[in-house]
Amino acid sequence: MSNTTTKEKSRRYLNPYFGGVLLGLVLLAANFVSGRGLGASGAVKSVVATSIQTVHKDAAETMPFMAEYAGSHSGSPMKSWLVFEMLGVLVGGFLSGAMAGRLKLKVEHSPKITSKRRLIFALAGGTLFGLGSQIGRGCTSGSALSGMAVLSLGGFITMMAIFGTAFALAYFFRRNWI
Amino acid sequence: MGPLAPNEIISENTNFLLAFFIGIAFGWVLESSGFSSSRKLAGIFYGYDTVVLKVFFTGAITCMLGLLFMSLFGWVDLDLIYVNPTYLTSAIIGGVIMGAGFIMGGFCPGTSFCGAAIGKIDAMVFIGGLFIGVYGFAFTYGLWEKLYFAKYLGEPKVSETLGMSDGLFGLFLIIAAIGMFIVAEWAEKKFPREEY
Amino acid sequence: MKPLKLLALFVIPLGIIIAAVPPDRVKHFRLTADELLQEAGAGVQFVSPDVVADMLVQKDPSLRLIDVRTPEEFEAYSMPGAINVPLSNLLADEYTDILNQDAYMNVLYSNGSVYANQAWMIARQLGYENNYVLEGGLNYWFGNILSAQAPSQTSPNEEFALYDFRKSAAAALGGGGVVATEGSATAVKAAKPAVTSKAKKKPAGGC
Repeated sequence: MSNTTTKEKSRRYLNPYFGGVLLGLVLLAANFVSGRGLGASGAVKSVVATSIQTVHKDAAETMPFMAEYAGSHSGSPMKSWLVFEMLGVLVGGFLSGAMAGRLKLKVEHSPKITSKRRLIFALAGGTLFGLGSQIGRGCTSGSALSGMAVLSLGGFITMMAIFGTAFALAYFFRRNWI
Repeated sequence: MGPLAPNEIISENTNFLLAFFIGIAFGWVLESSGFSSSRKLAGIFYGYDTVVLKVFFTGAITCMLGLLFMSLFGWVDLDLIYVNPTYLTSAIIGGVIMGAGFIMGGFCPGTSFCGAAIGKIDAMVFIGGLFIGVYGFAFTYGLWEKLYFAKYLGEPKVSETLGMSDGLFGLFLIIAAIGMFIVAEWAEKKFPREEY
Repeated sequence: MKPLKLLALFVIPLGIIIAAVPPDRVKHFRLTADELLQEAGAGVQFVSPDVVADMLVQKDPSLRLIDVRTPEEFEAYSMPGAINVPLSNLLADEYTDILNQDAYMNVLYSNGSVYANQAWMIARQLGYENNYVLEGGLNYWFGNILSAQAPSQTSPNEEFALYDFRKSAAAALGGGGVVATEGSATAVKAAKPAVTSKAKKKPAGGC
């Protein structure tokens, strides 16, 4: 943190260690209440499954993805813990942004690239992440963070794969960030 | 005695309601820590902002200690806490694909929702990408099915695999994390960036 | 103080404490004393040997007999298909999944019913379900099922029906030299305790 402007801005964010402790407490609460950790990609999966089912009622018979989903979720696919949690995340994120004056409709990008380029990469990155999270049975919140907290081997492996790959590819995408 | 829902101390609906409030807390903490900014998130990979490392590992350690101590006091039954299953092949391949998505998109699903909540258009586009990716998986399921279920090892814990107690592994993790934090603070001094 | 130093100062000692504590987790009682007294007093755990005999003859797959005596006694004689979970070692990790489950109807037995009942009480207090006690134990089993005594001529019909059933069951189970009559095992309409499949559902998570 070299100049005052950066210092001011980062003061408006929580100290990362403090934020980490708070995050850990939220995760602990999730585990204590529901017996499972936090997550995010699962909510997207629920919405996708619901939409497929709405359009095609007997999707479970023709699509093995739907059959597999129906097998592990009884009842309405939208009635899942993660869906309610992610709705809360939207509210919580909004509240925090509002309190800190960070609400602003904009495309955040490095000054060295255009908005358009940022959005293209955002879309591509999201697509890859969507696919990867399904294969990997979780994303950084569900598999890596929650998995690590309960010492799951799969969680650790996924986390190392995510961060390892990102580090390895960082050089090739450096123009987007630095 | 926790966890509350599996022990049927609270109903399923209460569980969902609490999920909402826990989500609010989750979103609030993430945004307040700066996880709504893709440039801050990507910073760990270039050394200029290590917030991801610090928040992530501190969070995992805090929860881990919390669970272990609560189990010690008899407040929670660890046998009923979900431990992510280990499917070796899909864990690695999924992780690699996600890693690529992370460095390109600068978000992960949870943080993208935070970003979208405060108006970040790139976060919203990222979420759009998520949906495309999941639909893609759903409709090409046959391609992935075999590797999706390959090498199922059960739900082992790292401590079990290494043949040590949960607590001992926890201590090693804590020491490793503190070590990484020290390196991170050094990196931030060495690779400063202008405001973002 | 620098935040990192403060954090380290806090978590490292906690880590040392949690690492030093022995990993064997204590098994906690789930039922209160009042609850247990009520159940034990009502005798809900007892299951009639006739019911067990019927289940064995019908080859009912949900029955699982558990012998709580010592391994030596188990070797000497055990009921058909029984497994051995010695009372002295009841809380060992290897037996947890046998006692804490909802697939089978576990019927615990010992020579009388004292040891089986003790095992039931401990398992019940840990919150385990689907465990029962064989009424009368092996002593009653031998004396009244395998070597069923013919009732006297003046006994009511139900006793004859019971006797016929027991003789056939004994024959089917290889009991002590009884001659089976024409009447095959008349199904004794004894109420089988309902095996509640209420399990402590482990939550599904991920994603």
